[in-house]
Amino acid sequence: MSRRARLLQAKDEPYETRTIISMYMLGIFIRFWLIYSKYQSIIGHHVEISTPLNSWKRVSEGLYVQSKGINPYEGDLIHEAPVILLLYRILTQTFYLPAEFLFLLVDSLTAVVLYFVAKKYMFHLFVFQEKQKGEYAQDSKEFILSGADFLNSPVFVMAAFLFNPYTIFNCVGLSTTVFHNFFLAIFLLFMLQGNPILAPIALAFSAVMSLYAGVLISPLFLYLYVIYKDKVRAYIALGVFTLTLVALTCFSYVLGSGSAFLKNVYGFILTVPDLQPNIGLFWYFFTEMFDHFRELFICSFQINATVLYLIPLSVKFRNDPFLLTTAVLFLVAIFKSYPCLGDIGFVMSLFPCFMHLFMYAQQGFLVGVIFLITSALGPILWHLWIYSNSANANFYFGVTLAFAIAEIFLVTDILFAYMKREFCLKYGSERKIDGKEAILMLE
Amino acid sequence: MFHSTLTTFLLVVPLAVLTYAFDTFSEELLLKPLGNDHLYAHFQFATKWDTDPEQESFRHTHMFPRALGEIVARYNVQELHVSLTAGLWMYETWGYPIMDAAPGAELWVWFKEDTENVDKNWKELASSLSGLLCASLNFIDKTNSINPEYTFKPRGAVSSPTINSTFVRYSSLPREIVCTENLTPLKKLLPCEAKQGLGSLLNAGHIYNTRYHSMAIHMRPICRDSSCESVSLELQQSVSLVYDLLILEAKHWSFRKLFGQGVIGRCVLAETATIYVDTTNNESVPFQLKPDPDEYVTSFRGGYVHTYAKYDVQSYVMSLNANYLGKNKVVLNSPPAIYANQYITGYGQERGGIVTTIYNNHWSPLDVVFLQNIPWYVPIYLHTLKIDAGGVRIEPTRIHYIPGRQRERPYHLEVLVKLPARSITSLSIDFDYVFLKWQEYPPDANHGFYIGSAVVSTILPLARNYTGLPQDGSTISDSFNASRSGYLVQMRTESTVITLPTPDFSMPYNVICLACTVVALAFGPLHNITTKRLILIVKDNEHFIVKLKNKVVGIWTRRTSE
Repeated sequence: MSRRARLLQAKDEPYETRTIISMYMLGIFIRFWLIYSKYQSIIGHHVEISTPLNSWKRVSEGLYVQSKGINPYEGDLIHEAPVILLLYRILTQTFYLPAEFLFLLVDSLTAVVLYFVAKKYMFHLFVFQEKQKGEYAQDSKEFILSGADFLNSPVFVMAAFLFNPYTIFNCVGLSTTVFHNFFLAIFLLFMLQGNPILAPIALAFSAVMSLYAGVLISPLFLYLYVIYKDKVRAYIALGVFTLTLVALTCFSYVLGSGSAFLKNVYGFILTVPDLQPNIGLFWYFFTEMFDHFRELFICSFQINATVLYLIPLSVKFRNDPFLLTTAVLFLVAIFKSYPCLGDIGFVMSLFPCFMHLFMYAQQGFLVGVIFLITSALGPILWHLWIYSNSANANFYFGVTLAFAIAEIFLVTDILFAYMKREFCLKYGSERKIDGKEAILMLE
Repeated sequence: MFHSTLTTFLLVVPLAVLTYAFDTFSEELLLKPLGNDHLYAHFQFATKWDTDPEQESFRHTHMFPRALGEIVARYNVQELHVSLTAGLWMYETWGYPIMDAAPGAELWVWFKEDTENVDKNWKELASSLSGLLCASLNFIDKTNSINPEYTFKPRGAVSSPTINSTFVRYSSLPREIVCTENLTPLKKLLPCEAKQGLGSLLNAGHIYNTRYHSMAIHMRPICRDSSCESVSLELQQSVSLVYDLLILEAKHWSFRKLFGQGVIGRCVLAETATIYVDTTNNESVPFQLKPDPDEYVTSFRGGYVHTYAKYDVQSYVMSLNANYLGKNKVVLNSPPAIYANQYITGYGQERGGIVTTIYNNHWSPLDVVFLQNIPWYVPIYLHTLKIDAGGVRIEPTRIHYIPGRQRERPYHLEVLVKLPARSITSLSIDFDYVFLKWQEYPPDANHGFYIGSAVVSTILPLARNYTGLPQDGSTISDSFNASRSGYLVQMRTESTVITLPTPDFSMPYNVICLACTVVALAFGPLHNITTKRLILIVKDNEHFIVKLKNKVVGIWTRRTSE
């Protein structure tokens, strides 16, 4: 029996191709309409969307300055790696693509890639479930995923990417996170396909752009090592990743005529010299930091954003590296030095892959409400602070704190839900010991 | 013994006198009515010393202030230009001043070509001048200095025809407040100080009651003669004042009203000591001078005629009155050929723009050099630079741009542009408001941050409204009949203030605690998830109060049963 035929045995009907395509067109149309409307510049200027690291205005400045024969890395407005700047230059100046069109194109491609990512992951999940079925408890049949679950999740993933206001604004605001997300999506696809060459290359491009994406080498390694059970491929991937990184850096070195770009791009990400507010935790913390503690806290915050959770999570979730990838991506998006809504939107669009965990999650309502309130209050309090001078920095800081808390609740809730589901599948949903009521506890 | 000492004395003293006989000092005061209601008073003290600046050690000086000489020698300075100014020169109504100066403190220096570390010398020179003039010039360092490529060329004699702009430094401190503490050290640099001569008019109690006051020191090497085989050292010290006659409460002015006292005698060290009063407009706005001038001087310069009443300062106490005759007349202002304004656009504290409007009233196109030293906390976007004359976009002839770096280097923008004839050209550039660390804000953070004046330089073909000294002159009298092929003006625009968004300065502990709490909120659950496993335990669903009650009841029943 073919894979598709087996999946179609389910009673729920999957979405028709026509529906999917019209949804896709609608998603693109919304972006198209906004990007050419008067709201574009308003959206693009919001600090939640464009940070010093990803604003297109700075890229334009870099390209312009470069065209005047000045090294853009002499100043400190441009924080894109020289390779990436070259990419933008080729796209906008050699192919004469208007920036708006470029962003629309890349974002819609990302949506397609994400659809196939989810499809592939659902297939992996299906295979995994088939293998494990024998070990599941008798009364856990209701938790087993059905055909429609597998078939519809990719559609939901694409919808979550196309209609999430965070990703829409990210694309409309011309933040270069669109390109970062595109590379990440390609990486996810190749990782799920077990490709030891293309996956690390895509990852290296993401890492060159944002540095933090480099931590995803751990899930990639685990995917090849644990899921595909192929040690050789896992080590090849490590090697290819390192080689690509070195090659891109050397290329950047040549393009950026010297090592000035290292300070401007990676030094900037790591030492946080620009304290423009964003949705993250760094800006106000390091605005108010005492000078002699700055280094200590920068180190601890950066460790917190990168490797602190990476190792324990990699050990714990080695059997589901895609969940690990999502969790790590989310944690990085929360704790990185210059996060933007585009990062959060991208991770959130992967969540429909884990719809089978939602019934175990407990804080959906709370998180949803906080997201709604902070998304509305953020721009309002920003306006009050910056334009009407009737609020101050603390108000906006409070909103970003609440937003970060919601994100943290969401990611920890999903991880807890995964553990609970595993438990239920193994021991059944009956929560009784010797006939007495029992509860699940962490020990 | 006595004999030999006497011989030495007799020999050395005439030698010393001979060596130092070649320096001359002259002092001048120009009084010029500006329009109907302002009076411009410019003191010009010029010292010329026939010594080779390359060899001079400044161990012995005569008229030249030794304190300044030592600084100049120590930091290998070729040319020094420093000015301290309060108020803004209104080019549109007042014409051009004798010396342009930016609001606040302004310093530009050419170092000699054998200077090893220009940046180090520049910083130390600024600190030394800060001590000499009691000004905050010590705040000048690499973070607010630029080396202008086109605007500031050497004013004096240079040894090589090629000019290497790595040896020039320019900086301005627009926030500097100028007052008597700067005047006193300046007076001390004069040969007669304020005891005699025109210096005695610099009476701090009166000259700060003005719309504009500027003091400046300019030192440069000049050609000793027309063949220029040897050079001399020239020092110009000047004080410019613009009185508002409305503040003086009368149209008539006198030395007593302006300076509080008359000239106390003549400085015996001065070769010439002269007072000029511009009487060019005496026909339209007649005033009578008392005492009568020694003579009237007529100057033909660049197509325009000026007449001056000339007084030689006498060895007795001297005063001067001007009485306006007839009714008040409205004098039509004829604005100069070119002038400029600068302002900030935008609202809120997120994005803004700096706009400089340059007015060209001349009948032919003019080439101008526009220089702006923009502090690092005002990051500008070069791609937003728009030059626009009456709706028509103008391409600059050349742009010299050095991008700034936060906390390290200012943005240096120099634009060469040809202004169309009779046009209003605006140069606009966008910037972002930056967020600083809380300790980088000055004590009065909401006072704002200054952006220094832009410098607009051009060579005027005509000398309308022009009073500046010619490049080869050091005194006001040198500017009479000094027709040249062009007249250099370097206008300074307004300095502007922007208010950067501020954090809450009382919050450091709270912010650190709150942000760390959020980090801990992630750490706790993730630590649990990764280090613990799920197990079922028997649910103890009794409420705390029920448990407590059971316990109390238990104890009670035990007691009663005993």
